Formats: sequence, C-alpha cells, structure tokens
Amino acid sequence: MTQKRRIPRLLQLVLIVLGVYISFVLLFDVALHQLIPKSLLTMYMLFVVAGTVMVFTFTEEGAQELVGPIKALVEDPSKKMIRNVVFVIVPLLAGYYTYTSMMPSFEAPMELRTIHPAPPSKFKAFGKSFNLTTLENPFRKFEKEDPAKFKDLVKEGGNVYIKNCQYCHGDKLDGRGPYASGLNPTPLNFQDVGTIAQLQESFLFWRISTGGPGLPAEAAPWISSMPVWQNFLTEDEIWKVILYLYDYTGRRPRSWANE
Amino acid sequence: MSSVNKIALLTFCTALFMAGSAVAKPGVAAKGKEIYDKRCTWCHGAEGAGDGASKDRLNPPPRDFTSGNYKIRSSDFADPTPNDEDVFRMIRDGMPGTAMPGWSDLLAEQDMWDLVAYVKSFAKYDKPPAKQVDYGTQIKSSADSIEKGKKLFEDGDRCVECHGKTGKGSASKRLKGDAGERTWPRNLTKPWTFRGSNDPKDIFTRISTGIAGTEMPSFADPGSKKKLSIEERWHVANYVASIAKTDKKVNAENTVIKADKVEGELPSTPDDAAWEKTAPTTFYTVPQIIGGERYFMPSNDTITVRAMYNDKMIAMLLEWDDRTKSIPGDSDAEKIADAPIAEDGVAVQLPVVIPKEMQKPYFGMGDAANPVNIWHWKSGTKDAAETIALLNSKGFKEIEKRDAAGVGLKSKAVYGDGTWRVVITRPLTTSAPDKDIQFSEGRFIPVAFAAWDGSNNGEKGSKHTMTTWYWLLLKPATGSKPLITALIVAGLFVGGLLWWARSAAKKPAA
Repeated sequence: MTQKRRIPRLLQLVLIVLGVYISFVLLFDVALHQLIPKSLLTMYMLFVVAGTVMVFTFTEEGAQELVGPIKALVEDPSKKMIRNVVFVIVPLLAGYYTYTSMMPSFEAPMELRTIHPAPPSKFKAFGKSFNLTTLENPFRKFEKEDPAKFKDLVKEGGNVYIKNCQYCHGDKLDGRGPYASGLNPTPLNFQDVGTIAQLQESFLFWRISTGGPGLPAEAAPWISSMPVWQNFLTEDEIWKVILYLYDYTGRRPRSWANE
Repeated sequence: MSSVNKIALLTFCTALFMAGSAVAKPGVAAKGKEIYDKRCTWCHGAEGAGDGASKDRLNPPPRDFTSGNYKIRSSDFADPTPNDEDVFRMIRDGMPGTAMPGWSDLLAEQDMWDLVAYVKSFAKYDKPPAKQVDYGTQIKSSADSIEKGKKLFEDGDRCVECHGKTGKGSASKRLKGDAGERTWPRNLTKPWTFRGSNDPKDIFTRISTGIAGTEMPSFADPGSKKKLSIEERWHVANYVASIAKTDKKVNAENTVIKADKVEGELPSTPDDAAWEKTAPTTFYTVPQIIGGERYFMPSNDTITVRAMYNDKMIAMLLEWDDRTKSIPGDSDAEKIADAPIAEDGVAVQLPVVIPKEMQKPYFGMGDAANPVNIWHWKSGTKDAAETIALLNSKGFKEIEKRDAAGVGLKSKAVYGDGTWRVVITRPLTTSAPDKDIQFSEGRFIPVAFAAWDGSNNGEKGSKHTMTTWYWLLLKPATGSKPLITALIVAGLFVGGLLWWARSAAKKPAA
C-alpha cells in the first residue's frame, strides 16, 4: 500500500478538538457576542473529546496508530530527552489546573429563565376569570368596521403607553426606555420580530394584567420588574395599549384565524 | 496622474468630507410634521408646547418648542436661534439622562432634517443664527489647564455657587426654570447625565451659551461680572471634564458586591480609611413604579456599595449623591427644598433565608412564601438623631416592625459635599434564624437597595428609587488549600508517569 505522508493521527485528534473549541469561541463570543458560560463550554468540549476519541479508536489499527507516539515516547530510549521534558510539563500543568480551578471565581450564578412561558388556559384578573383560548381584543374588529374609530382607539392606547410603559420599554418600543438600564432582566423589545409578532393579543393581555408576579415559576416571577397592571389600568386601557403596540411597530398579532 | 485616478481621488475626498460632517440639509417642514405627529406628539404635544400625555410624569419635562429655548445649541449667547445641526444632533443622538431617545435607528437622515425644519417652525425660527460661539483655539487638557480651571470654577463662587465645591450640585441656592418649575444644578461628576455630552468642546459650548430657560448663565457675556475669556473657558471645560472621571460608575457586568474578610475590628464610620481598600460596586437605581403610589420624578440614579466582614460582623458602606441634606425642621434644609420635606433614607433588602435554588423572594419587598429583611436608615429630624429600623416584609402590605437594636443592627452616617455615606453593621448571625438572615461565607446572597431624597418632592414611603436584585458575596479567605491540593495532584502525576516509564523499561523490547 502506498502511503502518503500525512498528519499523524494523534496530531489530527488534537487539531480537531482545538478547531472545534476555537470555532465555538469565535461563533458565540466574537461573532454573536453571546458569551458561553464556562461550565457549559466545558461540558460541550467533553462530548467533543469523547466523540473524537471514539471515532479515532474505532478500529484496532486506528487505536494503535493513535497511541503509538505516546507509547514510543515512554518506551523508546532514543526519546529520553523529550520524555523528561514532557514528564516535567504534564505534572506542572495538572498542578496549575488544579490550583486555578480551586481558587473561587466569584462569578454571579447563572439564572436561566423562560422568556415566553407557556400561558395557562385560564387566569384571573380584574376579579374574574379569563379563558385564554377564546379571549379576543374587543377593539380589534374596528380595524375593518370603523377605521376612524380604530385610529382614535390606537391613539388612546398610545397615551396610556407613554404615561406608563415608555419608562422601561421606550418611546420607540425598543425596550430601551430611560429606566431600562436599571432593570435585570431588561425590558422586552417590541420592535424585535421574536416578541409580540409571535404572540396572540390574549397572551399580551395576560402578561400585562398580571405582570411579573403572574408569571409561572420557570419564568422567575420574583425578578421580573413588570408591574401588575390590573392594579393601575382598566381592562379597556390594556386592550387599547395592545392595539398601539402592534400599530406602532407595524407587526400583526397571531390569531387562531390566521394559523 | 491619469484622469481616472483624479476622478477616483475626487470622489474619495468628497465621500470623506460628507462622512465627516453633519452638513445641514434643507428639511421640508410639511414632511417633518407627518413624522412628528406619529413619533413626537406623545411627549412634546400636538402643537409643540411640551404638553403631550406624558408631560406630568417626566423629569425633566418634555421641551416646549414654542418657548424658543434650545438648551443645547452652538449659536452666540445673545442669539437664541439654534443651528440646524444642534437640533439635528439632539434628534439623532437623544439626550442622556432624559426620556428623549436617539432616533437614528428608526428614522432616515432626511426624515430627521425634515423634523428639524418642522420643530423650529414652532418658535418661528426661519433664519439661521447671525453669530456662532467663538471657540478660539482649543486648549488641550493638561494638569496645568485643569488646575487653572479649578481655580476659575471656585473663584468668587463662580460655578461653586450652584454646582457646589465638588461639582455634585449640592445645593445652596433655589433654582427654577423660566416656566417656574423647580430645577436642580447638574451633578458634574455624573457624565452619563450630560444632555449634550461631556466632551470638553461641548462643555465649552454650554459655558459660553449658558442653558436657555434655566438659571445657567453665559460666561461669554461681556456684561456678566463672572465673565470668562475664551482661554479661561477652555480651562474650566477641561476641569469639568476631569471631575466627571469617577470610579462610582455603573459597570453592567459587575453584579456582585464582594465583601472582603478582615482580621480585627470592622470600620464603624464612613470616614474610616479602611474602606479605601475595598472595591466599590455601583448600581443604577430607578423610581418605584410597581406598587402603591408610583413615582416618576427621581433626583438620584445610582448607589455605590462596599462591604467587609470579620468572624463576627458584617459592615456595608452605602454612598449616593444627594444635593440636599434633608432634615425636617432644619431651617437650612427648608430654605432649599419645597416644604414639606421628609427625611433622606436608604434601605438594604436581603432574603430571610438565603435561597439554595434559583428562586428568590419577589424583588419588591418579598412575597408571602419568601420574606425579606429590610434595613431602613433615615437621616433624622431637627430634634431626633438618625435611625435604623429593621423590617420583615412579605410584600408591600405585610410589614412587621422589629427591634433593630435587639439583633445588633447599627448605623453611622456622614453627609458632605452632596454625598451621603452610611455604614450599616450587623452580626453575621442572630438568635432568630427564622426571622433574620444568617450570613455565611461563599454563598451568593441576593441583595437590593432603595433610596429616598426627602427634599425632592418629599420622597417617602413608596416614593423612592430602587434597584432590582444583585448579589452580595462574603469572599472566603482561600488560605493554603488550593496550593496544597495542587502540589498533591502534581506529585501524583509525577509518580504515575515514573511508574509507567519504569514498567515500560522492564518490558522486553517488542
């Protein structure tokens, strides 16, 4: 068999693992600006290493070839010099890794929360029960039936918005109001295609009227700064604000009819 | 040079020139009106009178364009007409520290020029200003220039009269706007609140033109007793830019207050030099708008925290800028503020039980299942000293007052030059673990803060500023454990490798 000179299998394995690691960092940290938590990256890399080793040792010859250079390093007397160097470096690296991983990092704990939790089928607000599967915006129909009236309703919604919501969600509905930087989690950006455009008006009514404390546990209700708006606004005002949110951003609410 | 090259060069230079300057383009007022009616009326009102729906809930209030006052402009002090570029810049970039956002992401450049034309028409400004601010030759910032600027700033109470000795705007004078509204001097140590940026050139412009509609005068006005030459104004601008370089600035990444462990006594006063050794952590505060009477007119926007602990106690130093020392009954305090004034205050909120999982108490004073401890300090009145109260609450409505002295909760406050500094101390543990947080090393403890400025609309009760949850960590002293473990691990590796080499050597060569 004519064998071309090629990269030793051990080096191949190291290069593949390194390549995957660098791509992760480049993709998330540099390109997307979404830092991967260290613990998560460690877990991913564990799978990558395990997977690559499995592929490389799939055949007996493959495995032999892979560990060959390592065995040679230990057993071949002519490689004594390199062996001594490796035998110093490896324990030093192990010691250093142990030391740094035992030093506490004091990074804030990760908090994973669901931003758009699944809505309940029913909820209570304004002293009554609402059925989310049938709930509709009572003003939506005027969009076709009476456009002049609809325009007025949107305007009334805008007035409610600017007096109550803009502080966090912003004049431009981009989630960057004057108080937004003081909040964690940050307010939702309604201009974003991933927010109100993906939701039904009834979902918005539920989220607005019951606010942060009305969220299910997976959405971490204890940290949401969204007020419980049924304490401050009327039902009609909330429905009008919802009209305004869609009108200003030019988005359409999802509805059963359109699905 | 070939003609092709010449054309290319010309095109390149033109492009460079156009990119480098915001050249005024004639806007069409009628087109501007369309945009204005959709985007701007909510605050500035249909007729530009600053009377939109939000008018009573914004601080500062939305600009009344009919008044003709343009605060951020670069025309001569004697001419109130703004340059088109001045108005354009405010629309494009917004005004930091106000509700006015920058619009460049939503509006095209021509849209913004059209808006400029329409907005200016409210005050019937139809000609450009006759004269501009004379910048002379800019003097670059240097230690020498800053020193000269500081002297001019303080000389004859020139700037100190309103902005205070430290530039924090610690008030000694009641100020009001042209419309009669109460105004407060800018805190010059908070660069993120400068409406027209804190670049020295911008500061020079403000000093030269004054700020229309407010009591900030022009220092270029030859009629002014406090007049400054061009060169002097550059020195003052450099000085003002220098005091805005503060370490009490929010770093959004830093959400953990790290309490250092110390041997011996903890500092019990704010003036103790030991505090200088601990790193400050600063958070934004926002007005309380989630429960009870909501609040929209804050005067403060940050709080800075340091913490230390020893084997028995924890101490926290809370610092926040407040232009007034609000002591009800005190005649000096009442001279500055509109009565009735309330006590200044600050509060620390901690969970009674440090959560093991992600779930925390509701950040607004806890909830039925997850109570919080609140340490509430108040500045005292003319007849009573400062106080610290201990509250246990399960939401806004279920608040239990407890005996602060009984658990060893103490405070010591100092007010000076526009800043409150309060030290609060408590033993790490108490005899009532079901009612009081028991501090322990290395745990991430949720913590939140609130502050009251009693001279600003009489802030009290639910009218205050606050933070959401952040973290407090009692940084454990690491000791020698990591080093010893590392040495053991390294030793094991050496042993393992040697054993492997030896056993390989014994094996007959293959």
